[in-house]
Amino acid sequence: MQYQPLPVSSPPPSGESRTAEAPPMQVALAMDRLSQAARLIADIRIGADSLLEALFMASQPHQSTKPLQFFAKEDASMRQHLQDLRSVGKQLEESGVINESLRARSNSWGLHMPLVCPDGAVVAYAWKRQLAGQAGASAVDRARLAFKAFTDQKRRFFPHLEDGVNGQSSESVSKRRRVSVSHEDDATDYRTLSDVLSQLEKEAPNVKVFTYDRLDWLKRAALLPASSNENPMEVVKEQSLLSLNRLGCDTVGAVSTTEVAIVELLFPSVFRAIVSLHPAGSTDPDAVAFFSPDEGGSYVHARGRSVHNVFRHITDHAAMALQYFLGFKTHTALYSTLLWICSYQTLFTEICSECGRLLSMDKQSAVLLPPVHRLYKNISVSSSKDQHPHLPSFQAYHPGCYSEETKPL
Amino acid sequence: MPLKWVFYWKPNPGTTVNSQILAEVSQCAEAINGIKDGRWKVNLTYYKPIFRDQAAVSEIPRDFIGMSLPERPNKFYFTLKNHRIVVEADLSIQNIMEKLQSYRSRVTLVFEGVQYKLGDFQLRVGKVVPSHQETLRGIVMEVEYLPISSMEKSRQIMDDFTGIWQETLAKRSLPGQFVCTEPNFSEFGLADNYTPQHTAVQYATVMADLIASAQSVTSVRN
Repeated sequence: MQYQPLPVSSPPPSGESRTAEAPPMQVALAMDRLSQAARLIADIRIGADSLLEALFMASQPHQSTKPLQFFAKEDASMRQHLQDLRSVGKQLEESGVINESLRARSNSWGLHMPLVCPDGAVVAYAWKRQLAGQAGASAVDRARLAFKAFTDQKRRFFPHLEDGVNGQSSESVSKRRRVSVSHEDDATDYRTLSDVLSQLEKEAPNVKVFTYDRLDWLKRAALLPASSNENPMEVVKEQSLLSLNRLGCDTVGAVSTTEVAIVELLFPSVFRAIVSLHPAGSTDPDAVAFFSPDEGGSYVHARGRSVHNVFRHITDHAAMALQYFLGFKTHTALYSTLLWICSYQTLFTEICSECGRLLSMDKQSAVLLPPVHRLYKNISVSSSKDQHPHLPSFQAYHPGCYSEETKPL
Repeated sequence: MPLKWVFYWKPNPGTTVNSQILAEVSQCAEAINGIKDGRWKVNLTYYKPIFRDQAAVSEIPRDFIGMSLPERPNKFYFTLKNHRIVVEADLSIQNIMEKLQSYRSRVTLVFEGVQYKLGDFQLRVGKVVPSHQETLRGIVMEVEYLPISSMEKSRQIMDDFTGIWQETLAKRSLPGQFVCTEPNFSEFGLADNYTPQHTAVQYATVMADLIASAQSVTSVRN
């Protein structure tokens, strides 16, 4: 069998000219060389077969010099093939096909050199698309590029969101945020969750505050007694067991503030409010919901709804108040929200500031309600540095008892 | 559990209770946006001990009541009002008493009627009749406020509701009104948190008041 060595289509470029070549040219050259290499490897295989054939012929008794000549010819062509392969291989290596050196270099226009994997497979699909000018890559590469672009954008526009991969980096991000907040607002002390909660306990001494991470709250909510519980004594025992298990976690000072995602405010016999923080460990509330203290079950969470009309109305109102605090009182959003929530301790006793009654028939929902609305706008939250700190008055109203024009709520 | 107040109808002097009043009261419940939510029933029995020994007759209390409540279908509640005792027992206690031949029922009354849902309130209006008879002995009303279990915390709300209810009733010029005499729960050893035992005590009180007012009517007649 005859083999005609194909001429190399382009001279091997020198070092200077290579750097002057645009990436598509580099890609084209590399592809060429790869196919050369493949042909050379095929030639070498055939040559090896021929050598074996020559040896076999030589082992036959009646041969003279023919096998020797054959062998010598094959040997010469084999060496040539191997030499060519070595040089092509060197060129490929230099252009970054065998290793990833070109990939690591900048200014490759996003194109990827075909990679020869250790097992001989050539990842070459990208090539054709690239040479055609299409911004192509293999499916894996495309996915990788997309994900990288997405995380870059996310990091740019939502710096407070965790990366999720590295817990260390997310902690440092949230710490950085907290420090920046304190630079912007030196007047208040409400930088960390512990500060907020200890200040709250001073202002509203009747409230019981508990903090949880998200999973712990779900467990606790499931254990809360539903109102149809038959034996209150058993429930009390369960609750005390649960609180024993959480010894040391309930006090404000001891809580590990990087994990706290749920704040529970309990006014015994009046209501239970659940505030969710996002991200966990920050002072950014993102949802709040009110429930009867007797309600229990997995629906009791910051985005759940109570079965009782009165608490549903308050939860809806609280969503608006929360948006107001986040928008206009961003630095003290959590503290303002918690303080506002505490104003509901008078839910069943404080009369409406407009009509002077406690119960009133709500026109929209046709149920009797106590004043479920509390003023949240234009309330200043005093800092602890004030000489006379006072609980701001959140006035109580029935939903139908105020008008936006005369009394801004 | 949610707290409730139990009222009974006190007719004006010289009048008696009748089923027309019951119909008017039901209409009132619907007038304040009450939605019919089903029926309810309470059985209340006066027990009399069965004696082997005649000597002990004078010491036995006459107000030993047992009742079943719809919110705890597998329990039975006893009250001894004058001794300030309320007890919760299993429903099978009635069988036991029968087998032991210790007590038998003297008279049984049935409270039954319709319940209405008014937002977070639940209203039950019902007649009081002796069992297996149709003569109306009284009208009873339960007002329950579902979100709260504390008697103290709910006092103002319940007062307010009672006021609204009485106002609505007053427009119909009925010969009487609903009355709630709040028993002293702490004497019975009951706490602020509402329980079925509180209901049992309220019913025992209501029965005592009904009997007292019936007796005063008969004494007036006589």
